[in-house]
Amino acid sequence: MRNPDVGAALGEPLVVALLAKWLTVSYILCGLYAWWRRPESRFGPLMVAAGFANFVSTLSWTTNDVTFTLGQALDLLPPVLFMHVFLAFPSGHLRDSFERALVASAYVAAVALQVTRMTFGGFFGPHNLLEITANEDAALLTLRVALLTMSAFCLAAVGVLLLRRRGRRALRRSRVLLVDAFAVGLVMIALLYISAAFDGPAVRQIRWATFATLGLAPLVFLAALLKARLDRSSVGDLFLELHSEPAPGDLRDALARALRDPSLQLAYWLPDYECYADLQGQPVELEDLDGRAITLIDRDGEHVAALIHDPALQDEPELLDSVQAAAGIALENGRLHAELQARLEELRGSRARIVEAAQNERQLLERNLHDGAQQRLIALSLNLSLLKGRVDGDPKIATGIDQARREIAASLNELREIARGIHPAVVSGHGLAVALEQLAARSPVPVDSRVEIDGRLPEQLELAAYYVVSESLTNIAKHAQATTARIDVAKENGELVLEIVDDGIGGADSERGSGLRGLADRVEALNGRLRVWTPRGGGTRVRAEIPCR
Amino acid sequence: MQVAIAEDSVLLREGVARVLDDAGFDVVAECENADDLMAKVRSVPPDVVIMDIRLPPTHNDEGLQAALELRAQHPSVGVLVLSQYVEVGLAMKLLADSAEGVGYLLKDRIGDVNDFVAAVRRVAEGGSALDPIIVSTLLARQRPDDPIANLTPREREVLELMASGSSNQGIADSLVITVRAVEKYVSSIFSKLGLPSTGTESRRVLAVLLYLRS
Repeated sequence: MRNPDVGAALGEPLVVALLAKWLTVSYILCGLYAWWRRPESRFGPLMVAAGFANFVSTLSWTTNDVTFTLGQALDLLPPVLFMHVFLAFPSGHLRDSFERALVASAYVAAVALQVTRMTFGGFFGPHNLLEITANEDAALLTLRVALLTMSAFCLAAVGVLLLRRRGRRALRRSRVLLVDAFAVGLVMIALLYISAAFDGPAVRQIRWATFATLGLAPLVFLAALLKARLDRSSVGDLFLELHSEPAPGDLRDALARALRDPSLQLAYWLPDYECYADLQGQPVELEDLDGRAITLIDRDGEHVAALIHDPALQDEPELLDSVQAAAGIALENGRLHAELQARLEELRGSRARIVEAAQNERQLLERNLHDGAQQRLIALSLNLSLLKGRVDGDPKIATGIDQARREIAASLNELREIARGIHPAVVSGHGLAVALEQLAARSPVPVDSRVEIDGRLPEQLELAAYYVVSESLTNIAKHAQATTARIDVAKENGELVLEIVDDGIGGADSERGSGLRGLADRVEALNGRLRVWTPRGGGTRVRAEIPCR
Repeated sequence: MQVAIAEDSVLLREGVARVLDDAGFDVVAECENADDLMAKVRSVPPDVVIMDIRLPPTHNDEGLQAALELRAQHPSVGVLVLSQYVEVGLAMKLLADSAEGVGYLLKDRIGDVNDFVAAVRRVAEGGSALDPIIVSTLLARQRPDDPIANLTPREREVLELMASGSSNQGIADSLVITVRAVEKYVSSIFSKLGLPSTGTESRRVLAVLLYLRS
């Protein structure tokens, strides 16, 4: 390495000089502009600092001993500054302690290694105030260590950028491109340094690509800052879009477009539930969002909604503010919609609970009958029977006992019907398919039944299905004047589908309505649907669809 | 004849045990639940098991499952299931493909001591005992072009008794007619229903049930 100047490793002195001036001026100007546009962001000051440090490092071209020494000592700083700026874009903050440690040690290494190298003197010439001994070998070794260390830092920063790109859900697209461009720039610097450290050829293409990336970076930042201004014109589109009163479901899409964040989520505040919920009324947790940012939208001191978005949007508070302002009324509408959905959901839940509670009561009642009165009556009948065997002598007593046993048998039959009416234990015990067989067998109208279900279904579902078939068959027997009926029960697409069809007179009216209403309640409590087609003279078709959870 | 009983109501369990004891059975086990019954049957298989279809702990289908398991694992043990409801679907499940050594009666039938004891004996000896309600439900079942309607009232009575598992002798006794007359009715019924006449009495039970159910 004949002329192992780091600046010279980048190329011809004239180009280097121009690039250095360009970097200094453009970084400082862009930084000032960013500072003015976003006083709350640290990115502007950071860019100004980068530009200034770059300027200081160019002092190594002066002949004054002090400025030369200072400039040389800071000669390795520019790549670290690029790295810092790239990593801190766009907020001006590094994201975590690892990144801060990385950048801090890069700064320390850049200065320390260069200062160490200068103490060995060598090619630095007469203006080097730090020279202690002239040892060219040691100077060359230190240079190599310095170049390799700097390229290692650059590659580590590339790793951070790539991880950041992968880790975050749906980065805004422009941001993804920027991150890629930064990564490419840092890889270029690393390649250039590695090549210089081993005396390798400074490949022209790498060199120009590096120039382009480093030189264009301030323009890219400027463009990103200007784009934030342009984004505000998307608020105008949002105004127009909201003017046509979009459906609540379209509001999120409109906001996502206006904010240029396809990952945007919208949650509405439900004051009565004291939580945020989506449009369907399902609660949304605003914690542990995997690195995503939240902007709460309040009006007159009341919560209205929350935007869950790409954290990059936080650097554009004006955009967020104007979008919120534009969406005010539409957000309020969406909030009301979400609240309505939450109430409907609650109502559905409470209806299901009421049906289930009633069912449990009935089940208990049936169980008590079964274990109590029914068992006792059977035992009583048995005892009477045994008693009869011991009083052979008196025919009057025997007749009396037989009479009593007939009464007991009649009571047992009545009790059995009552118990069955209260709760069909066979459904709970043995399932829908078994229970439906008895219903079909007992029907006074011939029934053709096809029941295609394997195994058991949730009990509430089986009971609802049983009642639908039972009530329909009762209606057919009482009113339809049908000659045949058909039952189809099958699972289709996660739903239990029941269809009961007869060939009777149709025109089922309100006199049969109350039974059907009760059935609809049961079915709807399970999120199902019950429909009845009953054209006059055209038979009746009852169809129930109940989701199988 | 050895009998094991599984019934969770003490009142009924003891009542049944007493009736069977009086009738000369040897009650070898009285169990409260299905697990206990299965363990006892495994150690000393009795001739017949009498069990409630609803047994602890859940009172859902433990009884039926135990009965099916017994039928599969101990074909020589007769299984008589008692229940407070009789269901065609359960009867078909219990019989599956054979009516040999199986019974399914309404619990109320315990009160008719003589009939009940006869049913237990029949099941113990490999015959069948189906509750009259099952048979009459199936018979009453409406079907288009019903061949049952072509039966004479007497033939219908014979069919009912036959389907519930009675032997020819039993049918003759119940209807106070001769066994030869019963045989004549049976063959007439089979030809009217278009069924091939089958050998054993329990086989014809299944044939008739399947016919009535279809």
